[in-house]
Amino acid sequence: MLERQFHVKANDFVKAGEASIEVQGLLKKIGFDPGLIRRVSICAYEAEMNVVMHGGDGEMTLSLDADRIVLECRDSGQGIEDIGLALKPGYSTAKPEHQEMGFGAGMGLPNIEKNADSLEVKSEKGKGTHLFMIFNAGGESG
Amino acid sequence: MGESKAQRHPVHYVEIDEELCNGCVLCMKACPMKAIRVKGGVARIVGVCIDCMECARVCPNGAVRGVSSADRGLEDRSRCAVCPSTVLYSQFGEDYLPNDILLGLSRMGFSYVHDQSYTAEMYEFALELYIREKRQTANPPFPLISPVCPAVVQIVAYRFPSLLTHIPPLATPREIVNREAKRRLVAKRQCAEDEVGVLHIVPCPAIMIREDDPRSRDRAVGIGTIYDELSKAVQEANEDEVLHYSGGIGLGWGISGGEIAGLNAKCIAVSGVHDTIRYLEKVEMGLLDHIEFLECRICTEGCVGGPFAVADRYQTKQLVQKYTRMFGTERRIKEKYIKKLYYEGWFESAREILPIARETPAPTVAERIEQQRKAEEILKKLGGKHCGMCGSPDCRTFAEDVAAGKASAENCAYLKGRIDKGGDWC
Repeated sequence: MLERQFHVKANDFVKAGEASIEVQGLLKKIGFDPGLIRRVSICAYEAEMNVVMHGGDGEMTLSLDADRIVLECRDSGQGIEDIGLALKPGYSTAKPEHQEMGFGAGMGLPNIEKNADSLEVKSEKGKGTHLFMIFNAGGESG
Repeated sequence: MGESKAQRHPVHYVEIDEELCNGCVLCMKACPMKAIRVKGGVARIVGVCIDCMECARVCPNGAVRGVSSADRGLEDRSRCAVCPSTVLYSQFGEDYLPNDILLGLSRMGFSYVHDQSYTAEMYEFALELYIREKRQTANPPFPLISPVCPAVVQIVAYRFPSLLTHIPPLATPREIVNREAKRRLVAKRQCAEDEVGVLHIVPCPAIMIREDDPRSRDRAVGIGTIYDELSKAVQEANEDEVLHYSGGIGLGWGISGGEIAGLNAKCIAVSGVHDTIRYLEKVEMGLLDHIEFLECRICTEGCVGGPFAVADRYQTKQLVQKYTRMFGTERRIKEKYIKKLYYEGWFESAREILPIARETPAPTVAERIEQQRKAEEILKKLGGKHCGMCGSPDCRTFAEDVAAGKASAENCAYLKGRIDKGGDWC
């Protein structure tokens, strides 16, 4: 089992996306299937951007073995009031200034749900959010 | 990964002179591919080199240079067609127009001179037709990635093989002029194809990858190599012949944004090796799916910033923009005719771009994960100064080199200090 942790800073749009790029780079070095790498990278990016925009500071943890990749993202931000609603495509709570930057289209969590093999969302208003994403790697690598 | 069909040892055209190299770490640190290590006091290219020349730009000793096949290419000009990069047109200042430069080449004794800017306009229209076709398909591989810069193609083949399907299978202007110039020269001289060759005058060594094939008579030389002689020939040329046919779009080809300048599509132009890699990462993550075409050039500001170019890239860029205004932004090609050629397959590329196989220090995924885990452990013990004294470009790469058995932990000055004091490194 290999584990790596990445710190994600709130409101740091300059560094936003760097953790996901590191995740992508590591998966490539190991040589997982490109399609799988793309799915994990998309989820990592969406989760990272959520932390940057809403989450306060957070940690993204990647743990993997040859059969599965687990991506966890914990933050200490504002939390999600209604998870069911947040999973609906197009539902956005992004601030107008973030939308002006091209973010906050309300596709973050729906995109993660679409690309991860399993997604668990735990959140408490005012305390933070915990995303737990699993990807099956068995048979997809070479 | 499917490694059954892949390039194993791509040729590169960068050399490090061991006499001049003093083993400083600047080139190793500048290499975006992490392909250089300092071993035995000198820098060596040990990994996949894409000929971006970032190493040469930072070397304080002039030890790194791009290889140019100068003399071999110039030996028999009567049997040689010459095809200069459009960058050449802007290397002689404001007093000379593109046609003057082409006349200068003619005066140097080349049997046939081919204007690449016109071909660039043909290619651009073919590219537009290709994009239009792709728009009609269910899942177009957008953004398409330009096939023009060979260093970018090498990066895609090595670091982003999943994006190879984004590269249109179109012949680049260089590939087209190579084919067409040869065909015309054969017709002119009434001889066999293997009796003639094409000389490309290029702004960078990355172009050598395809044109400097030792089996053929085709050659490539850097602009700097031919500059002196051409400079004199350009001043002396006073013929009336018209050799330049394109408008401003074809002439603007050498600067970043030149390829997309006349393209009716949603495009972005990116230049410089680091921004190129950053954008390819974005494409791979699906963040640029709304863009139809991505022009990437490995040199900052485009080919005018190539390491073999003689004139300053920013002044050159200004001159290219002046040419574009002067010659107009209308394509001078016959669109109906080009369309016919396109549908006849005239623009299809003869080359197949294969992924470049990654070095696989461990054969299975499980073993490679174990190797990365070991590297993580080693990394925690390193100083984190990224000094390069160990011979690897940064601490993480060093940890990976040690985990793969390619370097010894004792090469790290920080660790060695601990070992010398009686501590164990691990």
